[in-house]
Amino acid sequence: MADALEKTPAHRTQPLPDEAAVIARATSGERTAFAQLMEHYQSACYGLAWRLLRDPDQAADATQDAFIHAYKAIGSYRGGLFRSWLLRITANASYDIMRRAQRRPSSPLPDPDEGAPELPDLGAVNPLAEATKSELYRQLEVALRRLPEDQRTAVVLCDVYGMDYNEVASMTQSALGTVKSRIHRGRLRLRELLADHRELFNG
Amino acid sequence: MLNQNHPDDERLSALASDDVDATTDTGLMAHVSSCGQCTQLVSELGMLRVALGDLPDLRPSRPLQLLPPVEADRGVDRLGGWARRFFAPVVAAGAALALVGTVGTAAPVLDQMASGGADGGGDSAAIQEFAEPAASAASEEPATLDVGAESFGSDGDVAASPLTGQKSPEARDNGAPADQENARGEALAPSTPDERSPWPMVLFTGVALMVAAAGLRWILVPRAG
Repeated sequence: MADALEKTPAHRTQPLPDEAAVIARATSGERTAFAQLMEHYQSACYGLAWRLLRDPDQAADATQDAFIHAYKAIGSYRGGLFRSWLLRITANASYDIMRRAQRRPSSPLPDPDEGAPELPDLGAVNPLAEATKSELYRQLEVALRRLPEDQRTAVVLCDVYGMDYNEVASMTQSALGTVKSRIHRGRLRLRELLADHRELFNG
Repeated sequence: MLNQNHPDDERLSALASDDVDATTDTGLMAHVSSCGQCTQLVSELGMLRVALGDLPDLRPSRPLQLLPPVEADRGVDRLGGWARRFFAPVVAAGAALALVGTVGTAAPVLDQMASGGADGGGDSAAIQEFAEPAASAASEEPATLDVGAESFGSDGDVAASPLTGQKSPEARDNGAPADQENARGEALAPSTPDERSPWPMVLFTGVALMVAAAGLRWILVPRAG
């Protein structure tokens, strides 16, 4: 499967105009260049962490951990879309936190209807269309939070962030068939949850 | 009826994500192309995938630190690591040198004090003896020799001390009368061995090492708070 992370959706953080030069400076040890990259991509990383962990504090911790790992590993970056490289690190950091939380369950699972993040302003070129899209995103986020954790993780990594089945299987330490099954069941469950909002998909 | 046995929903989901094993399944493709219900499901799942892939990034809930703080002063940190690692061995070496230097410096004085106490007025008698004019010493050669031998004996202990390092072999072989004058001279010049002694320098080096190690550690090793 082609790596869908290689194309960045319109509402996601786009690459910096001079990204190759900034990455080159960061890999040579220039701290300001690395900070510039992290500042640019922090929303992308936090979004992934939040969708996996469903908790703002844990998501911020995972993003912070990802920055530290990225700083240590920036010397081994070997091309490709930097956003994809950083998101994989963030997904691993988030999954580590998730595993730790599973070993020591200390707090109740968050209410799926609460704690939804503030979605960014999508612009007002076509206010009605953008309002419909914002509502679709909100309903999608709520539905994602209602999925069982294994299905949500698989759907977020595969459908939201475009990782291929093998990558998701490796990250979640699951069999390839299990991952495929989780993704398909997760999608079907999302479809059921969004049954009352089908008109949003056509907007 | 052809469309009554619908494929498994997961197969339709695989088709919606263009999985190769689904798109090359001719039976599945034939069914979907002739079944409105399954076509609708595949279409909806496809739209769902597109919408999920289009979800926007999210602003962090709190300001994030873009650079790891542990890397802030990598150079100084490396020096601090060295200072931490070598602090204890250097201080131990300094303390050992200082101890040896102290013992080495103090031993002759203590020996002199101890032997002075044991011999009573022996040393003062010897000093008094050598303070007399040379002519008088020549006329009273045997007595002088006796006192000198006594004096030599008492100072011979000092000279034999391994810490002073003062010609102890010569002193032990000093049975010949011709060398007794030299022995007397040495006995009468107690400051000469101290001036040449290496022990004060050893003591100073030890203390300097400890002070330098403590200073470097204070400067280079980051302190809490």
